[in-house]
Amino acid sequence: MSFPRVLERLVQLPVVLFGVSLVVFLMITLTPGDPVEIMLADQRATEEQAAMLRADLGLDRPLVERYLVFLGNAVTGDFGLSFFHRRPVIEVIAERLPATIELTLVALLIALLVAVPLGVAAAVRRDSWLDRGLSALSLFGVSLPGFWFGILLILLFAVQLGLLPVGGRIPFDAEVPRLTGFLLLDTLAAGRPDAFLRALSHLLLPAVTLGLPAAALLARVIRSSMVEVLAADYVLFAEAKGLPRRRVLYVHALKNALIPAVTVLAIEMGQLLGGSMIVETVFGWPGLGRVVVESIFARNYPLVQAAVLLYAVIYVLLNFCADLLYAALNPKVRL
Amino acid sequence: MSFTRRGALLGALAAPAVIGLPRAAPAQRAAREVRVGFTQDALTLDPANHRNRETQTVIRNIYDGLMARSPDMQVVPEIAESMRVVDAATYEFRIRQGIRFHSGDPLTVEDVKFSLDRLTRPNAMGGQTSPRRDLLGPLEETSILDERTVRLRLSQPWAPMVGILPAQEIVNRRHVARVGQDGMQTRTDGCGPFRLVDWRRGEAVIMERFADYYGGSPEIPPAGPAQVDRVIFRVLPENATRIAALLAGEVDIVNDLPPSALRQVEASRNAQVMRVNGTRSFFVSMNVAKPPFTDVRVRRALNHALDKAAIISRVLGGTATPLRGVMSPDSFAFNPDLPEYRLDLDRARALLAEAGVPQGFEMVIDTTGATREVAEAIAALLSRTGLRVRTQMWEGAVINPTWMNAERRRERDMYLSSWGNASLDPSDIMLPTLRTGGRGNSSGFSNAEVDRLLDAAEVEPDQARRREMYQRAQRIVSEEAPWIFLWLPQDLYGVSRRIEGWRPQADSRINLHRVRIVG
Repeated sequence: MSFPRVLERLVQLPVVLFGVSLVVFLMITLTPGDPVEIMLADQRATEEQAAMLRADLGLDRPLVERYLVFLGNAVTGDFGLSFFHRRPVIEVIAERLPATIELTLVALLIALLVAVPLGVAAAVRRDSWLDRGLSALSLFGVSLPGFWFGILLILLFAVQLGLLPVGGRIPFDAEVPRLTGFLLLDTLAAGRPDAFLRALSHLLLPAVTLGLPAAALLARVIRSSMVEVLAADYVLFAEAKGLPRRRVLYVHALKNALIPAVTVLAIEMGQLLGGSMIVETVFGWPGLGRVVVESIFARNYPLVQAAVLLYAVIYVLLNFCADLLYAALNPKVRL
Repeated sequence: MSFTRRGALLGALAAPAVIGLPRAAPAQRAAREVRVGFTQDALTLDPANHRNRETQTVIRNIYDGLMARSPDMQVVPEIAESMRVVDAATYEFRIRQGIRFHSGDPLTVEDVKFSLDRLTRPNAMGGQTSPRRDLLGPLEETSILDERTVRLRLSQPWAPMVGILPAQEIVNRRHVARVGQDGMQTRTDGCGPFRLVDWRRGEAVIMERFADYYGGSPEIPPAGPAQVDRVIFRVLPENATRIAALLAGEVDIVNDLPPSALRQVEASRNAQVMRVNGTRSFFVSMNVAKPPFTDVRVRRALNHALDKAAIISRVLGGTATPLRGVMSPDSFAFNPDLPEYRLDLDRARALLAEAGVPQGFEMVIDTTGATREVAEAIAALLSRTGLRVRTQMWEGAVINPTWMNAERRRERDMYLSSWGNASLDPSDIMLPTLRTGGRGNSSGFSNAEVDRLLDAAEVEPDQARRREMYQRAQRIVSEEAPWIFLWLPQDLYGVSRRIEGWRPQADSRINLHRVRIVG
């Protein structure tokens, strides 16, 4: 990718973010529901107190003014106070984000570990019972509701077999000092392999719940793309040259077959970040997704706005990276 | 090849067994640790900066109040040693001696005054006003009489004052000065039975026993330091996960057990179900400003038409107490002599005919996702009168404000609703929901005599006379029937058999001070 093109992409980012901020602001503030009423619920409160709270949260100002204040502050990285946590939004997000990213990355790794061999195997044995079985399985995987699958895994592996914990990130007695917020890294950095394994044991079920449906879609993409590549002349040539089958498949063919998968992977990663909301709730995983869902129901405007902007940045950057990788994998592509 | 691949997938799932990942199993737990599987994380650890019951439950294990509630909901002195009612608007509290905060600072009358001022004075929290301000009603001034006595002066007599004090905690004024307003959100220095070890946001609040605890209220035995070393509130919002954690032995108490899980928990060897009458009254509000609900005969007809017992037994699994009126039977002001709207379909049909409501008349019950099943059951049962009753689903944040506003509910018919009353004082439920213009008066009910009784009871210091006033008001409400009176759901808990000394209480608090491990 040429430098001007990269620059152009980077310039596009603020424009996208401005658009997202406006849409999110309007969507959440125009949705019926009053955060103050939700907060006070059925507790003793007078109209005066409700008005005072509303003023305290800045909700008594006109919509345009609120948006401009939000935008002006957001540029400096100040997203205001979370209505319900009564702390800066950025602090709440910073606490929760590493857990979500760690879960997403491990889920993605699981998705790749499952999807690549399955996709390749299905392509190699095209139209065999294995191929058809995997197609059916991946359809099942794609349509798997995360909350149901998660609960099923909990019942099997935590309650029946007693192999893995029900939820949470790490047991109290395995806690290590927070360096990055990624427990797998922090436990290793602290020289605590026992804590690493325990953190991993907590991570496994939510990551599998999140990763397997992603693997299903990815496996289908890899399979189709691999089928196409395997029919190409250069693969025939490589086989005719007498290269070992494994080398032909995993070095020559797979590299080209992965090109469409990269785009899907970027989209998948974005979806995993979003999809983690449900899995985080099921597993009591202290990630950002759960707090965003809670905030939507509670009309916690500042937190939802900041989180959606963050998701947008991540999504745009992921697609940007996918484009870069696409170009690297396929020199014919000139972005 | 295919077998190998499939095997690899299964192997990956079963990998922990193979590589022996350690599990946070009960066997690995500290011997004297109790865990609660809790629906929601605390929003803050500052007792003055929230309006949230779950947050209060967590905080109440770290901070104590002037007064406390016993498991049977009696208000008893805690930090206060005694209370004296000087007159209808003045209360004096004598503070217990020898109480220390977790930091070692002694608790003094200055801390009590500081805490109450912080709750009630505008901008007292670093420029912010406490969102709990209204909870203390007309409390005007807290003054120190001597080194052991504080006086609370109200701007007018207000009978619920004492009942609201267990929900307000005392903070250490030196700690507030040390950590500032922001620090109070996450750093605690209470004088309660447990001190904060770590708050893992969204995951757990971890506390350990405070060895120098003064013992709490002697009126809730056994007094003394907590009997376990560590307690953990683990955040598990999903019902199925909370139950799984209980059955797997990972937690000892789970709150908000759904009725559908009763059998599962009861059938397990290591856990049991505990239940207590909750404090949330359920009712169907009828829009009394809209025909045909303007006619009391229609409202009475719908009360006669509903088979509450059928819903309680079939939909709610028998986990609710039917109500004839608004108040819980556990409240001091409950009126046991209210007439019952017996299930009588013929009478209901006759009343509807008298009121001129034609057969097939359509009515809509507004409801939210959480009560959808119940609303559908109510609609089906009411339709037996010949009316066509259907339900409409809404998000709570949308439909609640609609029904609380006379103009916006103009076209609505009925609303399956509820109102919590954690203090069990009618002032907290009848005043907002049944007084003219009340914040929660969704039916738009207005009755001059009820208003007069509620206002008078609000300032009446004599509890017996208050009871009498509220009972009269309940009778009028029952006759006027602005609601279809429904029930009071029980709060259900799953509790491990390895613990004792804890039982649920109606205000949903989970106080772990007296819990002990037996198994």
